[in-house]
Amino acid sequence: MPRVGTIEVTIDGIGRLADDLRASSMTAECATTIVVAEISAEPIRFTDLTDDDFDAAWEQPMRHAIVSFQAAHRAGHQRIIAIVPTIAMSGAPRLAHVAATAEAIRLLVKSAARQWGADGITVNCIAVSPSLFGISPEAVGAVSLAPPALASAGSLANDIIPLIALLAGAGAHHLTGSTLTADGGVWMAP
Amino acid sequence: MSSGTSKRLDGRTAIVTGAGQGVGEGMARRLAAEGANVVIAARRSDTGEPVAQAIRDLGGSALCIETNVSLRESVAACVTQTVEHFGGLEIMVHNAFRGGLPHRLEDADLDRHWKHMSRTGVWAVMFCGQAAYPHLQAAGERGRFILITSPSGIEGSANIPLYSPAKAAERAMAKSLAREWGPEGITVNCIAPVAASPALINAFAQSPALQAAIEARTPLGRVGDIEADIGSVALFLASDDSSYVTGQTIVCDGGSFLGL
Repeated sequence: MPRVGTIEVTIDGIGRLADDLRASSMTAECATTIVVAEISAEPIRFTDLTDDDFDAAWEQPMRHAIVSFQAAHRAGHQRIIAIVPTIAMSGAPRLAHVAATAEAIRLLVKSAARQWGADGITVNCIAVSPSLFGISPEAVGAVSLAPPALASAGSLANDIIPLIALLAGAGAHHLTGSTLTADGGVWMAP
Repeated sequence: MSSGTSKRLDGRTAIVTGAGQGVGEGMARRLAAEGANVVIAARRSDTGEPVAQAIRDLGGSALCIETNVSLRESVAACVTQTVEHFGGLEIMVHNAFRGGLPHRLEDADLDRHWKHMSRTGVWAVMFCGQAAYPHLQAAGERGRFILITSPSGIEGSANIPLYSPAKAAERAMAKSLAREWGPEGITVNCIAPVAASPALINAFAQSPALQAAIEARTPLGRVGDIEADIGSVALFLASDDSSYVTGQTIVCDGGSFLGL
């Protein structure tokens, strides 16, 4: 795992992706919090969604994300990085409840970047292949007429952690409010 | 195009939530002017009924139904009453929204600054969509679900940071539903308006510099009109003219946001 700096990175979130990030024992140049979106991978027809489903997939993950951002600010971290699946931008059938949460966290990043820039804090987002969140490609369906530019959906160690290291580095001080889409060239819309 | 006495929405019924004022009122008036039966779904009848009466005074067809969009049963009752009264429902417009108090993100209180926006913005998309779905499905290619979001839901907000996630969630749900309901002919789209709503007019009254700043950064040099500008976009999305448009957000703000 990259040991670009010496500061331990805080990982906030539940699920396999968050666990794998914790296991990587990342360090960085800047004090950093990574907020991994708490994503439900279960497709549910929109008309079948219950209040309990929506509370679990939308309300609670969003509340947790907001509190995580606030904790990072309180801790004086200079870098906040959110990780979401690309269905934030593409949407997906039977995953409206999941796409809502992912896109909302992506916009929480932009708002935080606008408010906290003056404090020297940068806030960015990495949008990754839904498969890294346990969402199958079949569930997402085709999101482009074109085939993926790269053959792989990407791996955490080889493809995502290096981007985290970039954003958590001192050199990324002028990069904020952005979304780096790292899904192998599936989603290329603005 | 309209010709003779036929209108673009003749024989169709629309529910517009939050139509007691502002953008919702403007859209309701425009849809009614093109022949739609319009339900003014307002939280309070003392704001909704005058809008309905004004539409009827102009020869239109309108009914006010008190509706609290943050409550599933209230939305369901509104849809049931609409269908009983008008015989169907082709167009569901979710516009109502409560919240939007300026705040610092680090100090934001989830109950004070988030709960109402989440409930009236995002949960209400589920309530409105689920209640309307059987009727939109029956309407087939005339079925429309229109959500009112905001440019802030695309570019973030420095003043009301939690407003942006709530509005962004609505856009993501619209894209997902466009894909889920597309095979049935139902279209799902968003409008991201900047218009002279009561809230914005009030803000201008308190801060004339704000109006000047918004107009200065807007290529068209003015703030949108709720009926002529925003209502016309809603009419397009509600009509047959948009039958091949789905999953999209039309930013109707005079050109101040050009990011898409």
